[in-house]
Amino acid sequence: MSTIFFRTLIIFITLMVVLRLMGKRQIGEMQPFEFVVTLIIADLACIPMADVAIPLIYGLVAILTLFVLHQLFSLLENKNNLLKFIISGKPSVVIDKNGVNIIELKKNNLDVADLIEALRGQGYFSLDDVHYAIFESNGKLSTLEKEDYLKNPPSIPTVLINDGKLNKTNLALNNIEESFLKEVLAKNQTKLSLVEVMTVDKNKKVYLKSKNKPYFTFNLGELYA
Amino acid sequence: MLKTVISLICALFLLIAGELFESFFVQKQFDEFDLALQTLYLKADDEEITKEDVLAVQKNWISKKRLLHMFIPHTEIKEVDLWLSEAVSYAKSDNFEEVLSKIEVLIEMCEQIPNTFKLKPENIL
Repeated sequence: MSTIFFRTLIIFITLMVVLRLMGKRQIGEMQPFEFVVTLIIADLACIPMADVAIPLIYGLVAILTLFVLHQLFSLLENKNNLLKFIISGKPSVVIDKNGVNIIELKKNNLDVADLIEALRGQGYFSLDDVHYAIFESNGKLSTLEKEDYLKNPPSIPTVLINDGKLNKTNLALNNIEESFLKEVLAKNQTKLSLVEVMTVDKNKKVYLKSKNKPYFTFNLGELYA
Repeated sequence: MLKTVISLICALFLLIAGELFESFFVQKQFDEFDLALQTLYLKADDEEITKEDVLAVQKNWISKKRLLHMFIPHTEIKEVDLWLSEAVSYAKSDNFEEVLSKIEVLIEMCEQIPNTFKLKPENIL
């Protein structure tokens, strides 16, 4: 019985660590330890239920151990902020007043495409529609929208540059020449390797965020008018 | 908060009580079985063993096994049944040497099986 207790404990802790290292992408509106419990509990219940050679008590002890760990983690989380950070992680501000924070995204094993996808899920189709976007510790995205975001002409942006990497498919989709794009970057005192995010929508509105610089938006048409 | 602490204490109490009962119960069953096997071994060594002696131990084992199945996977203790049945068969034909070897294996199993359920690093990892 104690063997099962400690084996469950080891598996639980290992899954917790792995899940925390995987970042927020793997969690769906649950705290990491809740997700681990959900992940294990189904199998624990099924194996002794289906295999008559295994005493039912094996499943019961493991489930009870998970319950103990769940309650213990809940208690520790509420008692101490440092423990809360260790157990559940902390929210990541992925869009702030300077634009997309690529470092925070990377820490959570996410990229700009994932962020845009999550924003679309919230009803915002442009990175410029929100003041702040925060990936909560349970993997949910919280946003603070800009007051006038609905006044923007509707259009879906596509990623042209993601962390210094050019997306040639999207470039062709928007009928933009690579040389022209480089010219645009030069005019804005940046270069491809320094660009963290660059998107463009059908209205030719560009969102540009370079390393260590705040983001800004402009219209490709206006630039050459 | 209080509810969480109470449920935590109750669950821990259940786990600890269960562990204590299980280790005591399993060890007691195997100790008793081991004692019966030691007696059988001495009888077989003196070539005085009869089929009835082994059958009596087998009957005793079957009653213990029913309860042990609650704590030990069936496959772990299935072997004991097989070795005991063989011992019965050899006792019937007065093949004392074979009976001795079967009982020796059973005595070894009596030591090994409870060990696999004890709290030891090799069992956990």
